[in-house]
Amino acid sequence: MRVFLILFSALLINNYVFIRFLGICPFLGVSKKLDTAVGMGFAATFVLVMSSVITWFVNKLLVVAGLEFLRTVSFILVIATFVQFVEFVIRKNSPSLYEALGIYLPLITTNCIILGVAILNAQAKYSLLEAIFHALGAGLGFLLALVIFAGIRERLELYELPKPFEGLPIALILASIISMAFMGFQGLIKL
Amino acid sequence: MLIAYSALLMAILGFAFGTFLAYSAKKFEVKEDPRVEMVKAALPGVNCGACGYAGCEAFAKAVVAGKVTPDMCTPGRASGVAEKIKEILKQNAPS
Repeated sequence: MRVFLILFSALLINNYVFIRFLGICPFLGVSKKLDTAVGMGFAATFVLVMSSVITWFVNKLLVVAGLEFLRTVSFILVIATFVQFVEFVIRKNSPSLYEALGIYLPLITTNCIILGVAILNAQAKYSLLEAIFHALGAGLGFLLALVIFAGIRERLELYELPKPFEGLPIALILASIISMAFMGFQGLIKL
Repeated sequence: MLIAYSALLMAILGFAFGTFLAYSAKKFEVKEDPRVEMVKAALPGVNCGACGYAGCEAFAKAVVAGKVTPDMCTPGRASGVAEKIKEILKQNAPS
C-alpha cells in the first residue's frame, strides 16, 4: 500500500514540476508540441526509473564504504550514462523525435528532477521497491505536466494574443495558474 | 586512505559505466553520411551557435543537406573553414 502512496504523492501531491518547481527548463522547452512532449516524458521516465535503481545500489555501496560524500558525483555519473544510452536508442529508433528534442535530450542529464529523486531516495532511506515507485511517480508526474502544458500551448497557438504576452511570457503565466490548481491536492496524503 | 578509496571507487564506477556505454554505442550505431563527419572535423568545434544551429553537428548536417552556405561559421572564418568545407563537399559529391 505504501508504495502506491509514494507513487501518487510524487505524481500529484508533490508533483515535481508544479509543486517542487524542479525540471522547469525542459518543461518550458519541449512543451510546444504534444508528440515531442510525450517522447520527452517517456525518455525522462525511463532515465528516472533506471537511474534510481542503479543509484539505490550505488548508495548502498557508498554507505558500506563510508563514502557518502561521493553521493552527488557518483549519481551524476549514473544519470549521464543513462541519458547517453537513451540518446543512442532514440537516435536509432526514432530520428524524427531525436531531431525534435534536439538539445533538450542531453539536457536530461542536468534535469533537477532526476538528481533530486535519486538524492531524496537516499535521504528518505527508501527500499528498492519504494525507490522505483517514487521514480515512476516522479516520471509520470513530469509526463503529466508536459502533456497538460503542451495541450494548452497547442490550442493557444490558434488565438491572437497581445504582443507582449506571445511565446514564453504567456507560458510562464499558464504554468503558474496550473501550479495553483495543483496546490489543491495539498495535504491529501500524509506519508 | 580515504582519498585512495574514493578514487578507487570512482574509477571502478567510471569503468563499469564506460564499458556499458561503449557496448551500447556499437549496438545502436546509426549509419550516417560520411561527409557530415568530415565537415564536423573541419569545424572549430566550439559549439558557439553563431551559425544559428544548436551546435557544430547540427550545422554540419545542414551544410551537407545544402540548407545553408558553408561560410556561416564565424569562429572559423579567419582559418579558412569555409574553403575547407567547400573542398570537402566538392571532392565527395554524390555521383
